[in-house]
Amino acid sequence: MNHKTPKQHRIWAITPSTRGFGFVVMEGQKTLVDWGVKVVKGNKNVQSLVKVEKLMEFYWPDVLMLQDVATKGSRRGPRIKSLNRQIIKMTRKRKLKVALFSGKQLRRFLLGNANGTKQEMAEMIAGRFPEELPSRLPPKRRPWTSEDSRMDIFDAAALVVAFHMRKKWMVRTG
Amino acid sequence: MPSAPLPSYLRTHRKRLALSQAEVAFLLGIHGESKGAKVCRDERFVREPSLATALAYEAIYQRPVSELFAGLYQEVEQEIAERAKVLTYRKDWKPSRQTTRKRQVFAALATRQSKQSFT
Repeated sequence: MNHKTPKQHRIWAITPSTRGFGFVVMEGQKTLVDWGVKVVKGNKNVQSLVKVEKLMEFYWPDVLMLQDVATKGSRRGPRIKSLNRQIIKMTRKRKLKVALFSGKQLRRFLLGNANGTKQEMAEMIAGRFPEELPSRLPPKRRPWTSEDSRMDIFDAAALVVAFHMRKKWMVRTG
Repeated sequence: MPSAPLPSYLRTHRKRLALSQAEVAFLLGIHGESKGAKVCRDERFVREPSLATALAYEAIYQRPVSELFAGLYQEVEQEIAERAKVLTYRKDWKPSRQTTRKRQVFAALATRQSKQSFT
């Protein structure tokens, strides 16, 4: 029996957040290779870039997925917007393809409703990867609590799933 | 162009089973303070694990070694295919049943890799 992993496209998604960033690496359409949250301290953008570079060197992905924070109506902070730009700049050096999706587009794709919640999207993603992700699904956020850092993993996973659903779109060489 | 497989998929399978590096180290029988670090080194493929450790990983993750170290396996397989190709073209063998069988084996080994590189 041959168990060899054939050559497949490796897609990598990063979702920067207040604590650091969440990431997911996927091979083909079904195999999650790595997923997690990287927490950074001090100069968050510099530290994030160091960790992003390390991951990039280890996985050598074909495509990098990021949230489109430059769209009209995006409510991400200036630090996150700057980090996104810096990551895109870094990918140019390595001739890595970058694909961008806005939060609204993601929800429209995955939930069929632009007003769906992140929790609904996370639950949908957890159902799609029953071996890997359900154990990392955070409890439903209460209005008085801040977002669980594990939600970044689901945001990143949503990006790679959306990429496979609509990969003809929006891919550009970095 | 699709990517070549990673040298090691240990981290993927550990995370799939929701195990920590320290827990895997304990299962491997690694003792001492830096036991998690040794598992980390294997996962990053900074060092090649010994045969006993590779088999232990197979037992823990219930996946064959060739899948856990897919990149390394592919590299080794490619090298074997190249050597098999050399043996296929060897002409100093006397014709016999054994030689025919050998040629079949070498041809199969040589074509196996070239077939897989198109997948």
